[in-house]
Amino acid sequence: MSKQSRRIHVRDAGTIRLHWFNALCWGLLVASGLGILSGDFVRLAPAFWPELLQHLFGGNAALVLGHAMLGLVWMGGIMLFTLLRWRSTAAPFLREVLSLTPRVVLTDLRFMVVTLARLFGLMKHAALPPQGRYSGAQRLLGTLIVVCSVFIALSGLYLFFAPKLFSFAAAPLYGALFRWALLLHAAAVFLVLIGLVAHIYFAVVEERESLESMKSGYIDAEFVHHHSPLWYEQLKREGRV
Amino acid sequence: MDKRYIMLADITRCINCKACVVACRAEWDTPLGHSRDWVREVESVSADGLPQLQLFPGRCQHCDDAPCVESCPSGAAWKRADGIVLVDDALCSGCELCVPACPYDARWLNPVTNTISKCTFCQPRVDQGLAPACVQTCVGGALQFGDANDPASKVSELLRSKEWVQLNTAEVPGATSHYYHTGGKPLPQAVLPHPVQQHLQGTLLAGVINPVAGIGIGGMVGAFIAAGVKKIIDRRAQRGSGKESHHE
Repeated sequence: MSKQSRRIHVRDAGTIRLHWFNALCWGLLVASGLGILSGDFVRLAPAFWPELLQHLFGGNAALVLGHAMLGLVWMGGIMLFTLLRWRSTAAPFLREVLSLTPRVVLTDLRFMVVTLARLFGLMKHAALPPQGRYSGAQRLLGTLIVVCSVFIALSGLYLFFAPKLFSFAAAPLYGALFRWALLLHAAAVFLVLIGLVAHIYFAVVEERESLESMKSGYIDAEFVHHHSPLWYEQLKREGRV
Repeated sequence: MDKRYIMLADITRCINCKACVVACRAEWDTPLGHSRDWVREVESVSADGLPQLQLFPGRCQHCDDAPCVESCPSGAAWKRADGIVLVDDALCSGCELCVPACPYDARWLNPVTNTISKCTFCQPRVDQGLAPACVQTCVGGALQFGDANDPASKVSELLRSKEWVQLNTAEVPGATSHYYHTGGKPLPQAVLPHPVQQHLQGTLLAGVINPVAGIGIGGMVGAFIAAGVKKIIDRRAQRGSGKESHHE
């Protein structure tokens, strides 16, 4: 069998575009968000970053507006894709990627720990169960990103619209909610960023075939056989290999 | 040289007429129950057993390192080069993270604008070359305002000619743009600043979320750089052993 024929089409152009749309939005939203938080007590980025961005945008009001508009575009894009392709793409993806029960989380956690340990030559002989399309580590990251994204979107909407819609002076609860939303927004973003470091490393260094499949939509059958034997079996049953 | 605006309050000249408060409320149209400045009455007993009343005209002290500016997430609280601490209403969400941070309780949520209000030394008036409304109207001449960097200004002259103190403590030691002349009497406890406080959410953000995020993101980047370096070393070692076996 020729090498070309061993490549399997696993991802359509729409899904690939959504991934890169999401990645671009994340890059811009994180950069601008870190530029919005200004006070020394509350900011995470070094002081030069908010100063630089706010100077470039002609003040923080424009930066906040740009961040919020881009956030709305991000939410709209993801929601539109999810609604339009719920049956064909979104629901199957969520079914496969979400680790929701404690037993699954523990199994996935063990897989992630062993995978990370092996990067440093540790736990070489630890037995790992065969994985499906998404490995335990990918499922944990996927779950983290999906859950955090929902919190980020909701808290972001509240942060932008609440001061315009509610009187914090009349009902202090709205102001308290605003402060909790700020905390939640930052915490959820930072959690995802911690996970994204691993995601980017594996895509760029360890499993370049995955990155390739996120560009062309095709993946090498041998790679699937080696990394995701359960998925390979499934593809075989479907006659796609 | 930049201007450095300061306010002087000679409490020995204050007669508690509160014209300053009325002028401020008129100037800024503050809602009922709120004011950007005040006169605090402090009753005590003197060393010879006589009752005494001290009057402290107060307002935002325009701290050099203003904790309200540090606590503000959006940059709405900011300090001009001339020392005046301002609030950018367009940016202020009214989240009140800055309110407990002020050791002088000088910031409050305005129920009309839904943004934070505070004394700005009447910045629009100052920019037009006028004195703040409270200074303009002070009957006893207790309040003086001007540029401390101008040696010929009245405030510079007064700074040289009298003894002045600032409202600070060991816990709130920072310098401010506001001075008081008490006629040599010690400052009563009632007018001293309380320690800088934070809302629970601000404390969690600064004390937990940000440090954990810094360590987490930094640690992950460091760990994966190390993993990448190990991978390169392992590959080179493999290539080396491959060459050796080829020579054999």
